[in-house]
This record gives sequence, C-alpha cells and structure tokens, in this order.
Amino acid sequence: MTAEEVVTAPRRQSRRGASFRDAGPPVALIVIFGIFAALSPQFRSIDNVQNIVDAAAVLAVVTCGITFVLMMGSIDLSAAGVMGASALTVSLLVANNRNDNDFGLLGILVAVLLGCAFGCLSGLALVLLKVPSFMATLGVSAIGLGVATLMFAGVQPNISDAMLESWAIERFLGFAYLTWIAAACILVGWLIQRYTRLGRYAYAIGGAEEVLTLSGVRVKPYKIAVFTLAGAFYGLGGVMVTSQLGAGLVQAGDGYDFSAITAAVVGGTLLTGGRGGILHSAVGVLLVMVLTNGLVQVGVSPYWQGGVEGLIVVAAVAAAVIPQRRRNQVVK
Amino acid sequence: MSAVPALEVRGLVKHYPGVKALDGVDLIVRQNEVLGLAGENGAGKSTLLKALVGLVAPDAGEIYVRGEPVKLRSVVDAADHGIGMVFQEQSLVPNLTAAENIVLGSEGAAVRRGIYRWDAMRRLAQEQLDKIGSHIDPLARTDTLTFAERQMVEIAKVLRIEERSQHPPVIILDEPTSVLESKEIETLFAQIRRLREFASVVFVSHRLDEVLDVCDRVTVLRSGQSVGEVATAGAVPRELHRMMIGSTGSDDHYHENAAAPVTAEQPRLSVRGLSGKSFHDIDLDVAAGEIVAIVGVHGSGREDVCRALFGAEPTTAGEIRMDGKKIDLPNTRAACAAGIGYVPAERKIEGMVGSMSVAENMTLTKQKARCTGPFVAPKKQATLVDSWIRRLSIRTPNRDTAIGRLSGGNQQKVVLARWLVGGDIRLLLLDHPTRGLDIGARSEVYRLMRELAASGVATVLLADSLEEAIGMADRILVMNDGRVATEVACPSGGKPSPLDLVKEMV
Amino acid sequence: MSTPVAVRPATEPATVKSGPRPVERLTGFMPLIALVALVAALTIADPDFLTQRSLTAAARTAAPLIVLAAGATLVVLCGGIDLSIAALASLSTVLLALWLPDLGGLATPVVIVVAAAIGAVQGTAHVLLRIPSFIVTLGGLSILSAVALVVSGAGTVRVVDDSPVKWLDLYVAGYVPMSFAVAVIVVALIAVVLKVTPLQSWISATGYSESAARLAGTPVDLVKIGAFCVSGACAGLAAVMLVSRQFSGGPTMADNLLLPAVAAIVVGGTAITGGHGSVWRSLAGALVVTLLRVGLPIVGVPSAYEQILYGAIIVVAVALTLDRSRVSIIK
Repeated sequence: MTAEEVVTAPRRQSRRGASFRDAGPPVALIVIFGIFAALSPQFRSIDNVQNIVDAAAVLAVVTCGITFVLMMGSIDLSAAGVMGASALTVSLLVANNRNDNDFGLLGILVAVLLGCAFGCLSGLALVLLKVPSFMATLGVSAIGLGVATLMFAGVQPNISDAMLESWAIERFLGFAYLTWIAAACILVGWLIQRYTRLGRYAYAIGGAEEVLTLSGVRVKPYKIAVFTLAGAFYGLGGVMVTSQLGAGLVQAGDGYDFSAITAAVVGGTLLTGGRGGILHSAVGVLLVMVLTNGLVQVGVSPYWQGGVEGLIVVAAVAAAVIPQRRRNQVVK
Repeated sequence: MSAVPALEVRGLVKHYPGVKALDGVDLIVRQNEVLGLAGENGAGKSTLLKALVGLVAPDAGEIYVRGEPVKLRSVVDAADHGIGMVFQEQSLVPNLTAAENIVLGSEGAAVRRGIYRWDAMRRLAQEQLDKIGSHIDPLARTDTLTFAERQMVEIAKVLRIEERSQHPPVIILDEPTSVLESKEIETLFAQIRRLREFASVVFVSHRLDEVLDVCDRVTVLRSGQSVGEVATAGAVPRELHRMMIGSTGSDDHYHENAAAPVTAEQPRLSVRGLSGKSFHDIDLDVAAGEIVAIVGVHGSGREDVCRALFGAEPTTAGEIRMDGKKIDLPNTRAACAAGIGYVPAERKIEGMVGSMSVAENMTLTKQKARCTGPFVAPKKQATLVDSWIRRLSIRTPNRDTAIGRLSGGNQQKVVLARWLVGGDIRLLLLDHPTRGLDIGARSEVYRLMRELAASGVATVLLADSLEEAIGMADRILVMNDGRVATEVACPSGGKPSPLDLVKEMV
Repeated sequence: MSTPVAVRPATEPATVKSGPRPVERLTGFMPLIALVALVAALTIADPDFLTQRSLTAAARTAAPLIVLAAGATLVVLCGGIDLSIAALASLSTVLLALWLPDLGGLATPVVIVVAAAIGAVQGTAHVLLRIPSFIVTLGGLSILSAVALVVSGAGTVRVVDDSPVKWLDLYVAGYVPMSFAVAVIVVALIAVVLKVTPLQSWISATGYSESAARLAGTPVDLVKIGAFCVSGACAGLAAVMLVSRQFSGGPTMADNLLLPAVAAIVVGGTAITGGHGSVWRSLAGALVVTLLRVGLPIVGVPSAYEQILYGAIIVVAVALTLDRSRVSIIK
C-alpha cells in the first residue's frame, strides 16, 4: 500500500457497485419463480429446474453475443441466419450421413469462425456503408439463411459425431454439458466486458460515442470487432442447437434473435446502449425461460411463448424509456 | 518566465456560409499566465477555441506553439502540442469510471494488449487527480459524480497532455463556471491559480467580474476580431464591457423610426406565475404591436420559457391568457391554433424541412390557406406563396425550389412567412431569429419585425446580442437563474445601456 | 387580420447552392433502370419469358408483395419501420379462413379493418410509449405470430367455399390478374390521396425532420399512427389475396414476404432515414424483387440464392439511398 491510498477519500460503494435499478430483474426473477412454484408443484420439482437451466443454454450463448451489440446502442437481427449457416457448416464437417468428413473440434471451430465472418460483414456494412445496424443485420441474416439453404441442398445432414452428440446428452453435476458451455461463455463474456478494451469501449460507445472520437479513439474497428465477437457467439449457438437436434437445420436459429433481444432488454440492457451487461443478460435469460416454462406448466399453450416475449420486450423497453421521456424528443 | 509565448495566434480567419466567424484574430498566451477571453455571443469565441484544439480548420492565419508554427488537425494533434480544452458541455463518457475517462485515448500502461490493468489504471488516474489535489474516487462511475466533480475529472484528463508533449501545457477552460455554485467557483479558481504554477490557462467566461478576478490579462473579441487587451490589475468591468459592445454606430440598424407606438388597453399575451423545469414564477405581458425581449445568460431559462409559450416544453404551474382568454398549451398544435407562431433558434434542424419546397414549407402549418376543403388547391397555393415571396422579397428561383438550397436569410424569411400566410397570427415567438445571418439579412429581418409589430402582432424576442435586444425591444425582461430579475422599459430615444442589463443578468 | 408587409429590396445575394448530386439523380431512377434491365436480361436468357403467360404469372405473384410494400412504405416515409407486416398478413389469412364460413363476403372487409386496427395499436404504442418503431413491430411480429398459431391450432385452415374471395382470382380483360389490378389501384389510391391533401407535406416533414414538423404544428403523432394503420390494412388486403390464391390460411403463410417487402421498399429508393420516397417507387421495387424471384430459375441459379440476394439487395440499396448528411452517428 502506497501513500496515495491514504489520500483517497472514503469510498462510497454505491458509486461503483450495483444500483437500485440493477436490482429489478433479479428481484423479478425471484418473485416470478416464487409465484409459479406456488402455483404448480411440477414447476418446483428439481427435474424442472434442471430443465429450465438446460433449455436456457443456447439462448444464454446467443444473448451473450447480442448484449455486446446492444451495449453499443446498435441492434443485431442476424442471429437466426448466422446460427442456421453455422449449424449446417458444423453438421457437414463433423461425422455425418452426407459426406465422409470427420473433423470433430476443428469443424466446430470453423462453424464459429463462419459466425465471426458474418458478424464482421454486419460490422463492415454498418461502419463502411453506414447502413443502420438493424437493416445491415436483417440483410446479413437473409444471407446466412441463404448460405444455409445452399448447404442443406434438400437433404438433412444427421450428425453421428460422438462428442457433439454427447454435449446435449451427457451431464455433469446434474446439468448438461451444453449448460456448462453456456456458463463458460457467460464467464468469458463477463471477462471481456470487464477486463478488455474491446468490452469497455463497446460500453463507452453506447454511453457517448462522440466523446471517444474527441479523445482520439478510433471507434470503427471496435464496432466491427464487437459485431464479429457477437457473430462468434451466434456461431457457437448454432453448433449447440445442432448438438441438441442431432442434425443440421436451416431453421436452427429460428426465433433466437428475438428471444435474445428480449432476454437482454428484460435483464436491464438499454436499447440506446451504455447500460447493462453480460450478467444482466444472464438474469434476463433465466427470467424469459422461467416465464415461458412456468406458463406452460400452469397450462398455457406453448404457442403463446412468442407472444409473451413480444409483450415483455415492449413493456421492458417502455419501462426503461419512461423516466427519460421529454417532449419534442424524436423517436424513430 | 520565458520570453517565447506558450501559444500565439496571428490573423486567424474562418468563414462559414454567410458569416465571417473569425476575421483576423490575434492572441498571445504567455507562459504561466491566465489569459481571459471575453466577448458577446457570436463574437467568435467558440470558433477560436475550436480552432485552437483542432476541431475547426481556419481558412487563413497562423497558430504558433512556443514559437513554432503548427497545423492542428484534431484534438489529439492539439494534445500532442500541449494544448487541451475543458469543454463547456462536458466531454466525459458518463458510464465509464473516472479513471477510464482520465486515461481515455492514451491508456499507456493501464491497458496492455487490449487487457485492462485496473490497478495500473487507478494509479495513473490517481496521479492525475493528485496533481489538482482532488479526492475523487478514481473508480467511481462518472455519472454518479456531481457537476463540479466531473469538471475536476475533466481537468485531470486534460492534464494528461503533459505526458504527451513534454512541455508546460496550455489549458483552455470554456465557460467553466456557468453551471457551478459560488462555493464551487471558488474551488475552481483556486484550481486555476494552481494550474498557473506549471501551465498556461485560457479562461473563457461571460461573467466579467470572474474574468477580472482570476485572469492576469484579458483579450476582448468583437465580431470575429480581437479589439483590445487589458491587464486586469486595476481594470473595471465597465471598461471591458464597452470594448465588447463597441459603439452602436449612428446608422439606424434597427429601424427605430419604424417602431410603432404601443397603445395597450389589454395585453395580447398575459402570463402569470408560469413555472417549469428550468424556470419559475414567470410574469410576462406583451401588448399587441409590442416587442418584448427576454435577455439572460446561458442557463437563465429564457429559451425554455419561449418554448413553453409554444406548448413545446411542459409547465408545472401558471396561466397563460391571450387577449384576456385563458388558454391551455398541451402541445404545439394548440399554440398554432391560438395564433401563436414560433421561429426556433436551430433553423436547419427545427425551423424548416430542408428537403421540401419553399411552397410546402411556407404552408406547412396553415394548411387551410392552400386548401379547398380537404384538398390542396394548386392554384390557390401558387398565388398565395408567390404573393408572399414578393412581399418578403424572398430570393428563390421559384416556389418549388427545395428550401435547403436557399441562403440563410431567405430560409428564415420562409420560416417567418409560414406564420403569416394564415393571416391569423397574434403572437410571434422569435428565438434568435438572426442567428447565423449576415448584416444585410439581419436588417431585413429587423424591418420585417417592425412591420409585423406595426400591424398589431405581439412579439417576444430572444435576441442574439444585448445590442439587438436593446435596439429592437420596447421593453426588456431580464431573466436570471430561471426567474425574472427585473423589467426595463426600452422606448425609442430612452434606451437603457447594456451595462444596466448585465448587472441584473449575473 | 391582414399583415401588410413590404420589404425593402434585399442586399443579400440569392445564393442557390448546387442541384442534386449525380448519385442522387441516379438513385432517383434506380428502380426503373433495374426493372428494364431485368426484363431485358431475362428475355435474353429465356426468349419465352416475354410472353403473356409468364408475365401474367409474375404479375399474380407480385400482387400481395406490392400491397404489403406500399403500406409499409408510408411508415418508412415517416422515418420508422414496420417489421410486423408479414406476421400480420399471416394472422389475417388465418382469420379470413376462419371467418369466411360465417361471415361470407363480409369477411374480407372485416379482416382488413381488424388488420388496420392492429396496425393502429402498434402505431399508438410507438407514439405514446416512445418506443422505437422497429422494437414495437418486432414485438408485434412475435405477438401476432403467437396469436396466429393459437387461433389456427398451428395448422393450415382450409377454405372450403372460396366464392367470396374468388373474384380476386379473375382476370381483367382476360390478361391482367385481378389481384394485380387491385394492387396497382391501391398504390394509385394512396399516391393520389397523399398528393391532393396536406398529408404529403405532413408525412415528408415528419420523416425528414420530426422536430421541425412538430414545431410547425404538424400532427406528427396522428400522422405516424395513420401510417401504421394503413400499413396494417395493406397487410390485411395482402392476406385476402394470398387466401384467394391458396384456398387456405396458415399461421406462417406470409412470413417469408417480410424480407422481399423490405427489399422492395429500399430498392425502390425510399430512404430508410425517412422523408424521401413514394409508394410508386415501392411498386417498381416490388416488381424488381418479383422478377428476380421468378428470374433466378430461368437463368439457372438455384432458388436458395434468393435469400442471399435479398440480404445483399437490402444492404446495398440502403447504403445507396441513405441520406448521410442527416445522420452523424449511425447505430
């Protein structure tokens, strides 16, 4: 300890740690869990809790990716397309019924890298062509789906790679390997967000992009890097879905883009950027999963899942916007 | 003390379309001195400062740093030459920690290969904060700090340039006191005196007493030129202010002879106890044909009062009467319907729709004037628009030209005409109507205002300068800190002096 | 009250800046050039293409897309985006198929009105809650899909007696499909109504500069809600066309029209930043997209490339039509 420690004024923890606002989602998670647990004995069974957590794995990974993009104040609608492309890629590269490939881990790596490439493409369209991110990623999603359809070529590739199949089946400490992979992703995401320049700048870009430029930071490479990073998570998500399904499907990522945005927003990440983070999103993922699982357990049709997500995303965004409303503010 | 000035500016010129923002400015900042920079709004202060930190490229003139001519292309470039600025609207990333903000853009040892070393970062930031003796927690999130604390962080950040240039830095403070309380101002001044030990400081403020208090020397700017230099020892605000304003000149710039006599039985607009977020308990009367100017410094709340009168800013209390009838202004449409017109200060963003034609812009509000029933009548529109183009001498190839392609003065006339085409205008709110216009265009806007007043329109004016307010207004309301400080009669032939007003403004 | 004003001759020169840049001129004609080029290319690739039969088939395919794109164009002109149109159309096909047996001929207008109301609800949520339009309509997309799944039981709803919607399957003058004629009439109707009323000004002003529009007293909120309402109604009409062609309604029937519709709007040259464009442009854009769709197999490209093409078109067309001068920071 050096002398300067003495100079430092007494620290006010509230200035660094979680604020009251951040407590909302976890509290909501506990409350909703409590309500469903009281309503349905099936819901509170250990098996079901394991189910919820296991079912959350893929969404958690995808949400990790999208969180970085949302932190910048951009949006990413490309998850579905990227996941489809990576699902087909991995299913054709590991042992499968369509060809003689058996690249194992290398195939998984290639699928993740393909995700990176798609993410990079979104980032380039945003930065170089100045296409707003929601349009750029909508386009990239379509391209991803097209690439996936090309690779699908009318015959569904069923995988027979033992390792990839085991991810969804084998359990460690009661949870599927996929869940542990998701946990690792959350940890990695958190480390990136907390300890790398990329993560901190993504956060800062959402806070005040113009200040970064003014301070001599070149923002563009970081934007591209963030989209690339997000693409990697989507790519891994596609691999995980393939492991669950045992086959590569174009629709592997269907609905994940929107569910991930919902989870991130519900967890407390602002669409305008600059607030929230991986841990917030992890809570958001659990919230969404508990809510959809709980509703099914109490007898609501599973078809309503998308509807519930739609409602809560609108409600969550509205709740986040209300305190900052001003007259004459432009909302596009 | 070395004889070579830390920073010198010679003959700096900067043109903007229609305006000469800088017209040959000279400036010398000696080493270890605090130089004050004074001037009215629009005198060129902010353009000069931006040129000094590389945000604006001057059209002509030279900048010398320690005797060497330099070209400053960016803020980073300026920092490399040892020039840094504390911006008026603070330039910190609100959701990062104070430490990250301090080292932002030049993290050095705090980030290695893209990985943060929080310990090193805290130490680096602490070093900077120690330089100014601040006790702020370097790891506190910036948006949890008070304004004054953030300013300290910003000064600590600017002092990082010491590490870059290996020379005593030049620190520019742009209106640093405008949002501070008096106690905080004292701390800031102590800080500035500390900085003088190892740096040169350029201090910009519209509060002349402050400038005289903290500076060694003051340079005064007026219409883009440096018009004088005063050593502060023994100087009085009066003297400085005269230099800032200059002589009003004998030509009748404001068409005072056209001023209509006001015969008020009942005020056109009567406001009682109007309160909102940034203004409180405003009383205001404007008679038909009267021009009332509201003056006040940045942050006095006058812009918000003006917008509130147009229903564009929420109010919490008070009542507004038009011709004796109480009106409610929940939104801008209600105001338009009540015969109130508003010319916003940001013409290009808020005043006009740049892609639309002169005709469409002119009839945007009073659609009825160009319609028969629910349908647009092209002939009716053509006649109406052409007649107003003629009456206001708007220079445009034709009525279908996109307004964005006209010059500023003509754009402003179209924006004004928008409120006149309906023939039902009763109250005009003019928010800096001459901003960015050259002298000729200004004069035309002034004449137009006179004629509107003569025809019975009541006008509320937020003028670009004190001079303009005094020249145009029949009465002046001085606002200070969200309240009406005083009201000054301003009749033709008995105009108050700017100094009387300044006293009440600060 | 009159305001007699006569101003002394101005001293200020009438500085008129340069006209539209060449790129702007080019993008103005982009959809037409693309359309002509496509027709020419397809004719060269397959001389049989320029026959009455294949053109009629293309026109029939294009009809629902034209209607969808035209409606959503209004929202884009206001500076927003409507991502729910396809899902709303899907839901409408289900509703129409379910209601046809009971309501008969009345089912068509009822479905269109319901779709319009759903659009208006989304517009109101966007305006009142101040939520960005893409998130409202993304949420709407999700909710509407869920409702469609639930009311249809996640299956196709067959239409046994399709006589009330059969008229859309007829041909005008023997050649022009009725649905195509209706689509063109809808586009013309929207265009004319905008043209002859102040709506054109209001929409342009809202899209180009919302704050200026508001400060000029334009009913910005109502204009936006109206745009969403029309967009919804068009989705409903597109659904009627789909049902008349497929004799059934399905919860995901129109879902794959979202990308082509967005592509049609941006290819038409309507700027995603708002304020610039027209429904005619979207008509041309929809034709371009349809020709690409039917043309790919003709030139021997697998239809899987269709998706890739849409994606590329959207990105490139947005990049070309974007008004960069108005947005400093693009998120």
